[in-house]
Amino acid sequence: MKRKWTAWLLVLAMTAVMLAGCSRSESESTAAPSGGTQQEGENATGENAAGDSDEPRTIVVWHSMSDDAGVLMDQFVSDFNAGVGKEMNIQVESVYQGSYSDTSTKLRTILQNEQYDQLPDVIQIDATGIVDYQNSGYAYTVDDALAADPDYDLSQIMTAPLMAWNYGGVQYGMPFPASTTVMYYNKTLLDEAGITEAPTTFAEITEAAEKLPDTNADGADLTVYAQIPNTPTLANWIGQIPGTDSDASYVVNNRNGRDGTATELVCDKEGTLKTFLTEWKKMYDAGAVANLGSGQSDMFFAGQLVFFTTSTSNLNTLLTTIDGRFELGCSYYPRVNDEANYGATIAGASMCMFNKGDEGQAQAAWEFVKYLCSAQVQADLAIGTGYFAVNTGAEEIPEYQEFLEQYPQYSVGLDQLNQTSTDMVNVTVGPSTDFYLTIQDMITMMLEENMDVDEAVEEMSAALNDLLAQYNRNNAS
Amino acid sequence: MTKKAKTRAADISVTITALILGCIIIFPVVYCIFGAFKTRVEFGSYPPALLPDSFANLENFKEALDKTPLLRYMLNSLIVACLGTAVRMTFSVLAAYSFAFFDFKGKKFLFLVVLATMMLPGDTLMVTNYLTVSRLNLLDTYLGMCITSFVGASQMFMLRQNFRTIPRALRDAARLDGCSDLRFLRSVVLPVSRPVLLTLCVQSFINLWNAYLWPLLVTNRDEMRTVQVGVTMLTAVGNTNYHLILAAVTLTLLPSFVMFIILRKNIVKGMTSGALVG
Repeated sequence: MKRKWTAWLLVLAMTAVMLAGCSRSESESTAAPSGGTQQEGENATGENAAGDSDEPRTIVVWHSMSDDAGVLMDQFVSDFNAGVGKEMNIQVESVYQGSYSDTSTKLRTILQNEQYDQLPDVIQIDATGIVDYQNSGYAYTVDDALAADPDYDLSQIMTAPLMAWNYGGVQYGMPFPASTTVMYYNKTLLDEAGITEAPTTFAEITEAAEKLPDTNADGADLTVYAQIPNTPTLANWIGQIPGTDSDASYVVNNRNGRDGTATELVCDKEGTLKTFLTEWKKMYDAGAVANLGSGQSDMFFAGQLVFFTTSTSNLNTLLTTIDGRFELGCSYYPRVNDEANYGATIAGASMCMFNKGDEGQAQAAWEFVKYLCSAQVQADLAIGTGYFAVNTGAEEIPEYQEFLEQYPQYSVGLDQLNQTSTDMVNVTVGPSTDFYLTIQDMITMMLEENMDVDEAVEEMSAALNDLLAQYNRNNAS
Repeated sequence: MTKKAKTRAADISVTITALILGCIIIFPVVYCIFGAFKTRVEFGSYPPALLPDSFANLENFKEALDKTPLLRYMLNSLIVACLGTAVRMTFSVLAAYSFAFFDFKGKKFLFLVVLATMMLPGDTLMVTNYLTVSRLNLLDTYLGMCITSFVGASQMFMLRQNFRTIPRALRDAARLDGCSDLRFLRSVVLPVSRPVLLTLCVQSFINLWNAYLWPLLVTNRDEMRTVQVGVTMLTAVGNTNYHLILAAVTLTLLPSFVMFIILRKNIVKGMTSGALVG
């Protein structure tokens, strides 16, 4: 009797799980075809040609700006509402939606349930959410906005950050905020060790490591450089190596998944992965890099880490926390070897708009996005955080000029950005989280088990190709 | 060694083990509270210190409260956690009572259905629940935030197990004397099960208090956000502000602490009796 009930229970649980699974895939499959309805949205655009600015509009903005940037974001919104917004009869309601991946989760939930009226007017998304946005069917791209507002001069926005959100020739969003990765270093420690020039390659970091002492002045162990390579850092280091028919090499095919869905690794076949792993392992074996995935910032602040690669957006925090205890140096992102180019991909997020069938509403959203990308707002954001002022007009603002003069570290990032090839783009893959973690696992394994580089390349490419194949099989349309 | 000495030795070793385990478990909480008073620079000091330089350093709390409307979020969390717990416990008590004392057709089957819901991972229900809540127009409401936790199978199960330890003869006797089921529940069953009830209340409260993704999904207005969302507002990409986070976490721990201290004795009783039942 008892066994019978257990069997019943199992059957029930299984049915329930299956039903839950069904309802989910069903909503996914119904959401998918609407990805092609972008033209419909554009048609709707023509029909309700709005422009009646008398009607007050409320624009809902979802963002992920936290900490100092979050405080600034609130400031921008209230300035807009009191100024430009008031004149144009547009009021912005901004909502913090957790991290970028939380926002993506939320966006996906809404799209799967087809609750399109709950979409915001403007959404701030990073690489994790851009695919969902593109497939939403309700995207009001920057191209759409420009068609209605031909007076706006897009050339005032710096090319590299703009192109970071350009997929297959369509400009999906406006960069807000934009940053890149540079190498900060403890200049005081370098000076003491008699190193006058910051290293630019892995080999030079190893050279510097030989000259640096084992402990710092407090007697704490000194780590030269600490990092576990992951998707974005791999995109940088592989991207620095000149490709066969472009200035940059790619980790996965279709130009790192930008021209189409990435289906396989290319860095293994092109030998760039091997080049990188060889140099990385050399640096590790020489004791110049610690296999550490987190905690670098605190080590750096404590004077226990010499070289620290991080986002330019952290400059303000770095300066305030170091508070003059040591001199903060800044140089270009290190290169794999002498043949590699300088540069790092653009990070950050973009402001994307939705058109839910009301053209006037989408145009009002565009007004706010334009405001966020205006010279003054961008200058304020740069000064307050260290993110790039993507609007070239910022250069004419006195406070910004002063800021540039006062903090030469900030200009390093800008110079590097101008030198980075536009061919160098970050990696867009479906299984983004697993991809990231697998890279870290594989490299950790190679270092700790002292694995042969060729073997590591083979295992890594097998594991990563597997992930891509599995994802693409499960999400085949 | 005499028998008495043996038991004593066993007692001591058990106490020591319990003490060590207790220290390990409490350490993160203690570290969090101490960390809330540390400056950012102290976090990187070498060798790492457990105690902050000064307990008078309240800057972290001030900055955390300046950067986020944490107090407002705490109020929201409190409302959601209290409402959710109250309703959930009411349903659980009533359901558990009927499963423990009533005989009706299909009782076992229904009970298994309830238990089966425990086996569904919450994540698979998130999307469908969102749809339901949104169709009910409950987005951005307290009700929407806690409606999915109104019925809890595990609480019901625990209570039913506990209620079953009360002899049914007692209920029969009470009925003979003209005592209704509700009165029997109120004046006999509930007082007897107090420890278990209170333990489940605390557990359920902390559960709802700590919820993150669901409240984030169903709210779209800043003033409806819960405290866990507030904590994430203090980190930036590539820059975890440990000092601010720990200060905010210390503040959010307060209600759970207060609750625990008030109900401490009952919880301990509840855990031991639960162990016997389970």
